[in-house]
Formats: sequence, structure tokens, C-alpha cells
Amino acid sequence: MSKSLSKDAGWFLSIYTILLRAYPREFRREYGSQMVLLLLDCQRDARTAPARTRIWLRTLIDLVRTAPLEHLEKIKKEKNFMRNLRTDLFAIGGCVLIILAALLLLSYGRSHQVSSILLFGHLLDALAFTGILGNLIVFLLVKFTRFRPLRVALWTFLIVSFVPAIALTLIVGLTDPTFNTPKVLIGYVLSFFFWYGLHWLWSNKLRPTETA
Amino acid sequence: MKAPTRRPEEFLPLTPAMFHILLALADKERHGYHIMREVDERTSGNVKLGPGTLYGSIKRMMADGLIEELEERPDPELDDERRRYYRLTDFGFRVATAEAQRLEQMVRSARAKKLLPRTR
Repeated sequence: MSKSLSKDAGWFLSIYTILLRAYPREFRREYGSQMVLLLLDCQRDARTAPARTRIWLRTLIDLVRTAPLEHLEKIKKEKNFMRNLRTDLFAIGGCVLIILAALLLLSYGRSHQVSSILLFGHLLDALAFTGILGNLIVFLLVKFTRFRPLRVALWTFLIVSFVPAIALTLIVGLTDPTFNTPKVLIGYVLSFFFWYGLHWLWSNKLRPTETA
Repeated sequence: MKAPTRRPEEFLPLTPAMFHILLALADKERHGYHIMREVDERTSGNVKLGPGTLYGSIKRMMADGLIEELEERPDPELDDERRRYYRLTDFGFRVATAEAQRLEQMVRSARAKKLLPRTR
């Protein structure tokens, strides 16, 4: 029995290659050539014309059944991405609002000499002084980076930066008598837990469940 | 690849196509057509995986870390270089085992309800 392809089988393969456009582009790019190769193998092993016809019919039915499923999965993934993006923006927007509200409250407290707000103001001063802005930038980078290794690297940096910042604070505190070391330390610890808490909230509570 | 802290039960029940593919890869690595043939032979022709079903399932199982693609073909001399070979991961093996146990439990229940004859 010859293993070469018959003319009709060759035609069907050409048609199937065109029909593969029914699948999403990414899927086609990844598996299209493998699917054609698979069909080629099936055709080679089919010894009779009815056997080949059965393969064609089965393949066409399979295509009609699975192509919409692949599109549906792609749409679901895109939907999830958009939902995650919305959640990210919501979390960051909320964070900015909290900071703005705190600043407004602080300016009101200072102008009216409200003691509780002034105490809060000292904490906020320390927070701003010790790198809240730097942490915010890294935090935003962590949230918007989709490339996982970079995200992990940035997140690690956010955690690791805690150690040199503390060391630097202690060194400056020892050399500069006007430097308020306890205030700065409290500020940095607060800043760290604030961003860590926000990250925890984002990843455990706010993030929508991914569909399979 | 997802974190290795996942439990196999999270993936159950598997689709019939996925379970058949895992079974086909349980004893050795195979390429797409090999998987298709193995399933066809093992089920006496009752289950025939089409290209879309096969590669759609492969795509999902790779994303879930149940199977992986081999870097090198087992038999590069004799084989078509375009073929991609797949094998079961340790996690995939655990998922396949969990699914087999689940099915065994269901068969046991069916026996208890006299839907199936009792084995001697």
C-alpha cells in the first residue's frame, strides 16, 4: 500500500489549512501546523476512500465544534484582563483619594490647631519624608507590569529597599543631630505596611477570580 | 505555569478528552498523532479525538501545568522534525490519579445501586 497522499486528500488538506482561519490567530499560530500534520498522518493511514471521507467529516465537525470554543475562551481572557485593569485603577484611584483626603484634613488641622490632627500630621510628615513617593512609584510599576519576572523583581525591590532605608536612617540620625530618627523610622515602617497592605488587599480581596 | 501549591482535586472533573490524553501520556511521551492513535486503540474506536479537540485540550493542559512539551524529540533520526512531543508532569500524574480515583468511586456507587454487575 502506498503511503503517498491521493489527489483528493491533498485538496482536503489545502481546504483544511484555509478553514483553520476559523480559530483565533494565537491558537492557529501555535497549533495550526500541528493540526495539519495530524490530519496528514490520518490521511496517510486511511486505506480506503470511505475511511478518508469519515476522517474529513469528523474533522469538519470537530472544527465547527471547537473553533467557537477557542474564541469564547479568548473573549473570557480579554474580559478578565479588562476587569483586572479596572480593579487596579480603582485601587490606585482609591489610594490617591486617601492621600488627598489626609492632606486636606492635615492642612485644616494645622490652620485650626486641632491636636489630634496635628498628631496625625506628624505621622504623615514622617511618611512623606521617608519615601512614600518612592514606594508609590515602585508600587505602581508592580501593579502595571504584566511581565511576571519584572513584577517579581520590582516587588522584591520594594521589600528589600526596606532594609537599606532603615540602615540609612540610622546612619544619618547618628551623624546629623537635627535629624529626627524615631519619626523617620515610624514613618518608613508605616509606609511599608501601608503599601504591603494595599498589595495584599489587591491580590486577595479585590482581584476577580480567573475563569479556567 | 501556576504555583505548585495547587491541589489536584481543583481540576476535577476532567473533560473526557483531557483524561484520555493524560492516560495516553501516562506510560510514555507521545506526539499528537500518537496520542490520537493510542486513544482510538484503547477505546476500540469509541473515542476519536479531532485535531481541534486534541490541541485545544493540549493547550489548556499545558497552561495548567498538567503536561509539558519535550525540548528534544525522542527519536530525531526516524521522526518528522516538525512533530512536537508531550509528556506528563508530576502534577499531571497526580491529577490523572485523582480523576481515576473519582471515577472508581462512581463505579463503586453504580455497583451498589445494581447498575453494574458485581465483580467476583
